[in-house]
Amino acid sequence: MAYRVLIVDDSPAMRTFVRRVIDMSGFEMSNCFEASNGGEALDLLRHEWVDAILTDINMPEMDGQEFLRRLSEDDVLRSIPAIVISTDATTHRIAVMTSLGARGYVTKPFLPETLRAELERTLGVPCG
Amino acid sequence: MGEILFRQALRDSVDEVLEKMFFAQTLGEVSGADEAGDSPADTIAVELMFEGEPSGSLCLRLTADAAREIAADFLGMEGAEISIGQISEVVRELANMICGSVLSRVESAATFRLGVPRIVTAGEECAGSLWTTCYRVPLSHGRLTVKIGAGTTKCPPPVQSAY
Repeated sequence: MAYRVLIVDDSPAMRTFVRRVIDMSGFEMSNCFEASNGGEALDLLRHEWVDAILTDINMPEMDGQEFLRRLSEDDVLRSIPAIVISTDATTHRIAVMTSLGARGYVTKPFLPETLRAELERTLGVPCG
Repeated sequence: MGEILFRQALRDSVDEVLEKMFFAQTLGEVSGADEAGDSPADTIAVELMFEGEPSGSLCLRLTADAAREIAADFLGMEGAEISIGQISEVVRELANMICGSVLSRVESAATFRLGVPRIVTAGEECAGSLWTTCYRVPLSHGRLTVKIGAGTTKCPPPVQSAY
């Protein structure tokens, strides 16, 4: 099965990198959507369904915290697993994002297999 | 929290970020005698303020060829295809990742906030700090210098990008 993934990050370079790393990891992705902040992501999610969301925290307009809060308030969108990708590995930040509904947290720097493992874990993809 | 802790965190962070995110290896640390030669005209530099316990700043400088190589590795492109804008963006992302990694290592239970990475123009110096730890490493096509210091600097308001 191939998955539809949304990457939310204000850095075009980072979005390119994440998309590339997903490809390198062997994770099966049929469609990859991109948004540069939480607001753009919510707009996109009004007309495109995705299986997983990968989101940064520090973004202009609508940051990752607010984005997760809005997702959790939506009866439909809250079912989409969201994984945070951030440089911030402090226990406080991880706890905050988890409390807002993040189902996974990947700290930069990360290896391709780490991102794949987190995607598969949150999507419930069987091992092997 | 001391300079030794920061120094070790800086070394570990630079090495790990380059290896995992840029598929690059550092080739040992540059000795003091080899420090000369990185003129501002031949380098790209980024400054990043952070707030936390402590607050401070990070300054990252890459020789031009190394910056192009790093950007190419990150984006999966050929060096000749990369624009100056893309190089600047990747170098800012590099500074952001190194700074976040250092702060996560030295204050994993605390909170911190990163400012917006800012390109430092030729002839301009990064802001100073009360103390500074520096790590210089040769790369296959140039050199990377990262300085981090604690001070009383303040981040800009959190309304802009901090990638």
